[in-house]
Amino acid sequence: MSTAFTLCLLAIVTLSLLGLPIGHAMIAGSVLYLWVKGIDLGTAAEQLLNGMYSSYLLLAIPLFILAAEFMNSGSIMDRLLRFCNALVGRWRGGLAHVNVVQSIIFAGMSGSALADAASSGKVMQSLMTRDGKYTPAFAAALTAVSSVIGPIIPPSIPMVLYALISDTSIAYLFLGGVIPGLLLGGVQMALIGATAKRRNFPVEAKVPLRELPRVTWEAFPALLMPVILFGLLYSGVTTPTEAAAAAAAYSLAASAVLYRSVRLSEVYRSLLGSARITISIGMLIAGALVFNYVVTVENIPRTVAAMLKAYELSPFTFLLLANIILLILGCFLEGTTILLVIVPVMLPTAAALGIDLVHFGVVVVVNIMIGLVTPPYGLLLFLMVKIGDVSLTELVREVMPFLWVMIGALALMTFIPEIVLFLPRLLGYKG
Amino acid sequence: MRGLAGWLRRRAENVAAGLLAAMFLAFIIQIVFRYVFNFPVGWASELTVATWLWLVLFGSAFVLGEKEEIRFDLIYSSVGRRVRIGMAIVSALALVVLYGASLKASFDYVSFMKVEKASYLKIRMDWMYSIYVIFLVAIIARYAWLLSRLLRGRDPEAGDVTKVSSGL
Repeated sequence: MSTAFTLCLLAIVTLSLLGLPIGHAMIAGSVLYLWVKGIDLGTAAEQLLNGMYSSYLLLAIPLFILAAEFMNSGSIMDRLLRFCNALVGRWRGGLAHVNVVQSIIFAGMSGSALADAASSGKVMQSLMTRDGKYTPAFAAALTAVSSVIGPIIPPSIPMVLYALISDTSIAYLFLGGVIPGLLLGGVQMALIGATAKRRNFPVEAKVPLRELPRVTWEAFPALLMPVILFGLLYSGVTTPTEAAAAAAAYSLAASAVLYRSVRLSEVYRSLLGSARITISIGMLIAGALVFNYVVTVENIPRTVAAMLKAYELSPFTFLLLANIILLILGCFLEGTTILLVIVPVMLPTAAALGIDLVHFGVVVVVNIMIGLVTPPYGLLLFLMVKIGDVSLTELVREVMPFLWVMIGALALMTFIPEIVLFLPRLLGYKG
Repeated sequence: MRGLAGWLRRRAENVAAGLLAAMFLAFIIQIVFRYVFNFPVGWASELTVATWLWLVLFGSAFVLGEKEEIRFDLIYSSVGRRVRIGMAIVSALALVVLYGASLKASFDYVSFMKVEKASYLKIRMDWMYSIYVIFLVAIIARYAWLLSRLLRGRDPEAGDVTKVSSGL
């Protein structure tokens, strides 16, 4: 590691701590590196522009965001909730189960946990706290933890980013997330079931079974979206990016059919909302592209891999360490930053130890998603404090039991790779 | 002045939404032509990456507000006003100096790219990449303006974490 690189790291960390947007901090720190090293400062421009211009894969990100925004606008959420209520509302703690099942289904349409919490959070909060059925803190905590499933079940924005840095197949990563996502939902529902009696959770009015076909039919446009997406991805008909575009087109058409007209103002609002999210992730990617040039020049991942080799880590210890590091970082850092800056350093070691990179990718994404609900810095926590109007302390207290069972599930999928790799292998993954 | 700034910001938002709409439409055209008419259209695919590049850099320069950007604000939002002003002065100054230092070299790189053309759209690459220079100039100007306000003792806005547009 050269002095220039140390200065560069120091600058990025200091500027970030001082509150500069992280994308700018990465570009500025890298410019400092070039300056000290006497490399042409135009290299930053070159890396950023060529990197952005050739990253066709990344276009899936704005399109998945757009698909979820289109789906979101309107009555689709109500229909989805009625469907979930007909399925699991009859159990003790019915609405709590509905919250989880809704997140699982929504996860099949959206690649973002924050989008899930933002779109269903308000409705779930008012449903669950009406007549004092559940405490506001419990309802908010549940929405936060169930939203974590969003990017684990495909589509998934963090998985697209991981595919970019690791050169693994998006389609197999997506498949690998299905069982872990369901497992996380499963342990959450098990925890609700286990505490439902003690906490005296209410039961919802039973929806008669003959109502089920009608309720399903009403939710059908939403339920069809994951089917279309999977169909396009795994039949190999389109590229993943095109599948994302088709999904966005479908959800625009679906919401148009449900409303019987397309309101231009709604479409504009969805476009602008998606554009804003795209810009802020895009800046982080741009910063990471420039910084990754520095990292490559300095040969950092290989140096780290060589350093770790001296310790003769077993794959087991490496995975354990990686999980611990990612969970701790997740308490303090925004997930995209971890994914674009920290994970690339881990990849060569993982590969050298013979760890499957699709398996590793899913484990990384689950870690980063759990980081959204770990205090002190968890974007989902902050969002739910606002939506649920509860204090962070109360919210965190209700989140903790869920956090432990989710970490338990994470341990399972880390050390039993088959949980992740079963579906990809079934569909032809050779890893 | 305030009215004009608001008007300009709304027009910038129109451009950002328009760029995303163009990207979306170009994809649809690409899919329809390739799979329905079995006739790949290269320009559509080139347009999608061009709109992506422009959306991010243009948007970062003119659309995104201070509060929406992804940043680490655990410390920033918990310190007192004076410390926060001090922190903001240091980081704004560093950004202005470093971006400023790279401006000429970046301009040189972008104008050097006039030797290449986008393969299908036939747009000269220096035009395609010119958004980076615009982005640099806009960010330098924005932070210089911020700096002048900070030096006069105006409080920087503390971030609002629920407004962060993270895609996770």
